[in-house]
Amino acid sequence: MGRFRANLMVCAGSGCVATKSLKVKEAFEKELKKRGLENEIDVVLTGCNGFCAQGPIITVHPDEIFYEKIQVEDVPYLVEEHFVKGRPVEKFMYKEPTGKLTIPSMHEIPFFKHQVLRVLRNKGIIDPEKIEDYITRDGYLASAKAVTEMTPREIIEVVKDSGIRGRGGAGFPTGVKWESCARMVSDRKYMCCNGDEGDPGAFMDRSIMEADPHAVIEGMIIGAKAIGASKGYIYVRAEYPLAVHRLQLAIDAATEAGLLGKNILDSGFDFDLEIYQGAGAFVCGESTALMFSIEGRRGMPRLTPPRSTESGLWGKPTVLNNVETLAAIPQIILNGADWFKSLGTEKSTGTKVFSLTGAINNTGLVEVPMGMTIRQIIYDIGGGVPGARRGRKFKAVQMGGPSGGCIPESLIDTPVTFEDIQKTGAIMGSGGMVFMDNTNCMVGMAKFFLEFTTDESCGKCPPCRVGTKIMLDKLNDLAEGRGKEGDIEILEELSYDIIEGSLCGLGQSAPNPVLTTIQYFRDEYESHIKDKWCKVGVCRKLTTFFINEKVCTGCGACMRACPSKAIIGEKKKPHRIIQEVCIQCRTCYDTCRFKSIIIGPADYKGDPMALLEE
Amino acid sequence: MADDIKILVVDDEPVVIKSCKRILEAEGYNIDGASGGREAIIAMEQKPYDFVITDLKMPEVDGITLIKWIKKSRPETGVLIITGYPSQETIKDALELGIIDYVPKPFTPVVLMDVVARAIEWKQKSVPAEAKKKEEEFPPSMMAELDRMISSYRDKPGSLIPVLQRAQEIVGYLPPIVQKRISKGLNIPAAEVHGVVSFYSFFTMQPRGDHIIKVCLGTACYVKGIDEVLDKIKENLHIGVGEITEDRKFSLEAVRCLGACGLAPVMVIDHDTHSAVTPKKVMQIIDEYRTVGAKA
Repeated sequence: MGRFRANLMVCAGSGCVATKSLKVKEAFEKELKKRGLENEIDVVLTGCNGFCAQGPIITVHPDEIFYEKIQVEDVPYLVEEHFVKGRPVEKFMYKEPTGKLTIPSMHEIPFFKHQVLRVLRNKGIIDPEKIEDYITRDGYLASAKAVTEMTPREIIEVVKDSGIRGRGGAGFPTGVKWESCARMVSDRKYMCCNGDEGDPGAFMDRSIMEADPHAVIEGMIIGAKAIGASKGYIYVRAEYPLAVHRLQLAIDAATEAGLLGKNILDSGFDFDLEIYQGAGAFVCGESTALMFSIEGRRGMPRLTPPRSTESGLWGKPTVLNNVETLAAIPQIILNGADWFKSLGTEKSTGTKVFSLTGAINNTGLVEVPMGMTIRQIIYDIGGGVPGARRGRKFKAVQMGGPSGGCIPESLIDTPVTFEDIQKTGAIMGSGGMVFMDNTNCMVGMAKFFLEFTTDESCGKCPPCRVGTKIMLDKLNDLAEGRGKEGDIEILEELSYDIIEGSLCGLGQSAPNPVLTTIQYFRDEYESHIKDKWCKVGVCRKLTTFFINEKVCTGCGACMRACPSKAIIGEKKKPHRIIQEVCIQCRTCYDTCRFKSIIIGPADYKGDPMALLEE
Repeated sequence: MADDIKILVVDDEPVVIKSCKRILEAEGYNIDGASGGREAIIAMEQKPYDFVITDLKMPEVDGITLIKWIKKSRPETGVLIITGYPSQETIKDALELGIIDYVPKPFTPVVLMDVVARAIEWKQKSVPAEAKKKEEEFPPSMMAELDRMISSYRDKPGSLIPVLQRAQEIVGYLPPIVQKRISKGLNIPAAEVHGVVSFYSFFTMQPRGDHIIKVCLGTACYVKGIDEVLDKIKENLHIGVGEITEDRKFSLEAVRCLGACGLAPVMVIDHDTHSAVTPKKVMQIIDEYRTVGAKA
């Protein structure tokens, strides 16, 4: 980095690549060359910056100026102003969603300010395709220490002492897992990494694999030494081609450098690593199913015990850790257990990466200390819910994907730790947080997740295979106005049967989204059944739309937006919806800036104004 | 038209050949005779026939053997059988081999004429289908590449899934013929291969379009209204999820979370990710691909 006067970091995470960041990088290179600056300004491609919604993202070091949404045509102007005239360009900088405040420095932006980067410490700083970059950031020091100086016992003690728990969802203590595998006597053991990130709405693992692939590999080397494995697999979803590509480059580079493979650093320790691409089955994130999949079979979970640490891949003792867990290991070895424990709570130590998506201003990837409350994450980091002026409010956050649950607004001060989240009925999961505002229907949400699990159930256990389908049918009935008194109880009862009768985590947790939404939003279920009324207007068959004549300004926005031309009215006079033509698409509701659309129950014939008082 | 059609009648009784000749030649068909299976094969090796009408019970090379040979070496020739023993068993065997129809013995001229006329009609109708089927056959170079790939994995345990992934890259999809080849090459039962293919959503047994549209059904995309986008695509392309348009330009797939939730709702066409897709914008994006050739 030394001989350049500035470094221009272009984010090349999947998000920014999709918004054409690679083209932007080319444009920068061309423009800098044109102005003879190519030896002064270095253009670097980095891994995911995390602030995906604002992509393509450019940061300029050493000043750490943050530019967002840079397009190819912006490049000449930006280069002229910033690099030739030395004036950072305000119009490309981050602006506060609430005020009009412009924040030039990355570390001052709330989204970044409250984060503590440990696992993601290299994001946006190094080029993930260059091993040298990783090594300058103390890369492979920890694995060198583990392989040459430490005994397996010592490694396991440090990891156990750090209190780190599996970041994949269940939160099993990593050190204990390693210890039980290390104890096994076998001619062969395997060290595997679970990169089959299947929860919809979660992309932490993808980002880590893309931004810092060497950290994952280093963590695996340390783990392999601890348990005595000589062979490892990284199981990655085929939907993540960029992650596969960068991991492969990283493996090749590390092998070339003698940090991986035969006789690592002349220590006599061998560890071979291979990437295995999944083939699109959610259940393969389950450890026993994942191993069957590596063996080339249908990924169907089996009964445990024996645990994988006793009899895993090809019947040999196997440790399977999540990507984020492994990426955290090298720094635990380097900085010690106490350093790791200094953040977080007693039982949930360290930091955790979350992906924030859905109805939230700052969509992206964040790393925060365990124990931060949901409120802090939404408002301090996430910038709150968009559309506040139109009456949008935070309603619930879904955590843990299809296995998790919805946490309502009333529990917004819950600290995010394994134990506290579990108490709400949701689970920590891998760290996907999907935010919902008051326009989301909770019955619809439950239905969405049930559709997912019904589809992804491997079919081995009938309670899961058949039960989820019956639950889904029931939810469809509810959403389409065929709900009956007693349906909620049937859903609950079925849920418990499925939980009890299923072998693996998928079935045991599949009813969670339904159970938590019933627990916290029972009134919504009831209004679907009794009043045939979806109050937020999502379940089309349970709605009638009206225009509040007292509020409507006659701006005509809804009239233009209505796909079925069901809205009539003169300019500047209140409009009206012709019910016979309306298809209940809710476009008018989403379009109206004056909150003048009223949503009533199915086939409502009464006075719409009466609905407002309810 | 009838005189273009060449028919070979095979029977060990000369009188049957003679009567067939008399009846069918009067209709304008070209008729040759052969007194047994062996003679029939010799005759067919010399010139092509559109149809073969054969007896089943013959000394030396019998009817079933002849049909097997025809199916293997002259698959374009249609087969009709004459049998004095229309028992369930023999006819079943012959039907399994793919004959078109049969003539019970003894027969009247009308019956024979009818059966032949029907057979001709059926064959003409089925020609386009057959031609289509041929299109689905794969060039030998592709099969050679497939075999080479399979054999490179032969000694690696657990290689079925990578082999299937590679095969899908080579062929584009995994029809039964490809699965059988893999089964043979890796020495894994075909049922197990099929079990894996049907288990994982990544694998498809349907051919895919020039462009693959993947619509993300992840939570974030759902919250941001991907279902309306999907409906719009279905409506405009007249296909459902997992289907392919008639012109084979597009196939539509639904995927579970692409991990690009910051850009929700997301649609991927070939390798390009399109972010914040709306029902309004979606067809415009898709139409841009219409003029572009198939992906490399």
